[in-house]
Amino acid sequence: MERVIGESKKSFMTGNEAAAWACLAAGADIMFGYPITPQNEIMHYWTRMAPKYGKGFLQTEDELSAGFTVCGGVQSGKKAFTATAGPGNVLMQEPFGMAEAMRLPLLAIIQQRGGPSSGTVVYSQQEVSLTTYGGNGEGHRIVYSTSTHQEIFDYIIKGFNTAWKFRFPVFILGDGYQAKMREPLEMYDPESRGIKMEEAYPLIGLGGKIGQDRGPSHLCNIYSLEEELYEVITKVQAEYDALAPQITEYDEKFCEDADIILVTHGVVSRAADDAVKALRAQGIKAGYFRPITLRPFPQQELRAAIAKSGAKKLLIAESAIGQLERLVKQEIYGETVKIETLFMPGVGIIESDLIDKVKSVL
Amino acid sequence: MAVQAIPKSWYLPSKPHKFCPGCGHGIVLKALGEVIDELEIQDQVIFGCDIGCSLLSWNFFACDSTQTHHGRTTPVMVGIKRSRPELVCVGYMGDGGGYSIGSQHLLNSAVRNEKVTLILVNNTNYGMTGGQMAPTTLPGQKTETSPYGRDPELTGYPTMGPEFIAQLTPDSAYVARATVSKYKQLKKYIKSALRNQMEGNGFSFVEVLSTCPTNWRTNAQQTWNFLEDEMEKYFPVGELKTPFGKGDK
Amino acid sequence: MIFTFEENSRIVEAYIGEYASGKSEMAINRALELSNQGRRVTLVDLDTVEPFYTLRPIKNQLEKLNLNVISSSREDSFGLGETGAMLIPRARWALRNEGDIILDIGYGVFGAQTLNLVEDIDQTPELKVIAVLNASRPMTNSLDRILEYVEGLGRVDAIVANTHMGDETTPEIISAGNEIIVEAARILQLPIIYVAIVEELKDSNVNNFGLPVKYIKRHMPAAMW
Repeated sequence: MERVIGESKKSFMTGNEAAAWACLAAGADIMFGYPITPQNEIMHYWTRMAPKYGKGFLQTEDELSAGFTVCGGVQSGKKAFTATAGPGNVLMQEPFGMAEAMRLPLLAIIQQRGGPSSGTVVYSQQEVSLTTYGGNGEGHRIVYSTSTHQEIFDYIIKGFNTAWKFRFPVFILGDGYQAKMREPLEMYDPESRGIKMEEAYPLIGLGGKIGQDRGPSHLCNIYSLEEELYEVITKVQAEYDALAPQITEYDEKFCEDADIILVTHGVVSRAADDAVKALRAQGIKAGYFRPITLRPFPQQELRAAIAKSGAKKLLIAESAIGQLERLVKQEIYGETVKIETLFMPGVGIIESDLIDKVKSVL
Repeated sequence: MAVQAIPKSWYLPSKPHKFCPGCGHGIVLKALGEVIDELEIQDQVIFGCDIGCSLLSWNFFACDSTQTHHGRTTPVMVGIKRSRPELVCVGYMGDGGGYSIGSQHLLNSAVRNEKVTLILVNNTNYGMTGGQMAPTTLPGQKTETSPYGRDPELTGYPTMGPEFIAQLTPDSAYVARATVSKYKQLKKYIKSALRNQMEGNGFSFVEVLSTCPTNWRTNAQQTWNFLEDEMEKYFPVGELKTPFGKGDK
Repeated sequence: MIFTFEENSRIVEAYIGEYASGKSEMAINRALELSNQGRRVTLVDLDTVEPFYTLRPIKNQLEKLNLNVISSSREDSFGLGETGAMLIPRARWALRNEGDIILDIGYGVFGAQTLNLVEDIDQTPELKVIAVLNASRPMTNSLDRILEYVEGLGRVDAIVANTHMGDETTPEIISAGNEIIVEAARILQLPIIYVAIVEELKDSNVNNFGLPVKYIKRHMPAAMW
């Protein structure tokens, strides 16, 4: 694979640029996309770089088309990806459903904006439910929630590998703040870090002579009988459950003796990290737990953190009304720890918001 | 050359096919199969089928094939072609999938002159869902959702697909309307539509007028009469755009 | 008091650069510098790609510092959502303001061509187009890339060497990056009007390559972007 970064070096840029470079470094072949704020610069930078590296791009007529062209690209054996936000993410749930049904390892970068409807073009964490369980299926997908530009870069590279290794669609869940903020990160070619990129392979267009070398490949996503569908979905679910421990990622700090554990994800976890340190400095035993994968969710790990700390409370904080909270509740059903919440839909959450909230509930 | 009763590119385990008796799909797919054989492209073809009756063709061919969603066959074919230009992508859809729910994809892929071949079967109704009105339902035609006959005042006139696509595409596109009542012509048009893609010229589109006796509730004679006397009069058959010289009307 | 022609004449400068090059920071610092000299200054936000992500959040703060700021405000954007390529009329007529005009040109493939949107710009001989370069950015992190980038901008009259890494800027990063920019400027035959250094590093040992140095106060972090 061509080395696009060369010698690894620190760079200063926006999150969207980091995403475009990461796709390039990961060896992505083609992007299909439709403009929507706040993800536009992913397309801007991809289209600037793509011709220089022999990569493809198509600006489609809408997000439905962007999603389905990505499905086609992946079926043909190419590392295809897209990026979207808000109402675009809503439209793309249809093709993402096809990707779930056919186990198409596409990668989609979601830069959340405010909702419902057109909402704002700026920021929120309101696409958690949609991205984890959108569509008319069972959420057979992998969702990484990033919090820094470095993570956008790292998890896009990892995401292409997870997708092609396990054949589930992968989502990089960022937000408008991460998209537009400028901060340094270290870019690198995966090989230089000993990361082996998974090979893409076709599901159709397999080559050889049909009838002599092989039979035809007929890809299917619709079934005549309830029992047929039941069998397929149950099998996929079992496979997903079995793979989950290999995929699940989380971050945990100061949970050994915490009285209260802050549960946050994405960019809000940066504020939580600062808040927990500040609270500790003031003698308040706060802990930090952050699911990095929202699907599959690190439920064992969160249960373990609650158990070992003996925490009396969880504080779930998010820039949405209970989307993370609902995920957490379904995953840790049966725990008796009291759940406090800080919901700030569509606006940022900073350290002092969290500190004040913790003090008010302890 | 000996005439083969069954095209080599047909997938025999899926035969006999599942279309209703008297349905035109079998004729279209036979023509497509013979063309695939004659062009010797069985191993390069990617066959994509829409939802609706066209779905019954999903494993019709011994070619690599994929199901898609209703209306979304066009973008899936475009995605494959853009990713692997050496493949020959054939999207197969009905009038609902192409002209209604997927019309934005059809229109825009035509404008972009995407190098794919689309075959759209026009039988004037939504067959699989039980015979509802389609964009192509004729004025006055009775369907389950136009029980008193289609009233153009309320629901407009039938979509003239090839005519509007011809307006949207450059000269390198191929656009035609065929009918299952003229088999040789149908086959010729499909062949031109595939050659046009293979030669890298551009968008290739064939609408095929077809029969649906089940939902029309017609016997054999009435079925043929409706196709030849009603449909072919409303929807003119012929080549609207061909990069291969003079078309035959 | 005797006015020289130089002091008497109006200053019109357009700062152009990539996202995170520091062009907005350079424009703000320049505008405040002139304003502190008692000059009347108008700062114009010409980011036409993402107008609501740039100066808007710190507009009020800058106005308190005696600048006339032409930028989209929250009221301008109400109900507009996507915003797209939006140009506010006051920006189009910015040159009709009295005093100095400092233009902050957004990134994008059109480069200096964005200035065409400003009325009378072609009848403004005092205009200087200044490219802000940060060698920590991937599009401008090597000699070849800088040359390609600056040539793609269209008209450029001068360069500001502004290598930085946000909060993680070090003297070594500035010196190493600016070395490439200095070489690029030599090849492009463009003057580097100054080397920009964040004021926090004022007392550290940064190689200025014998060029003028300007110490910069960072205003943009308050804008979140």
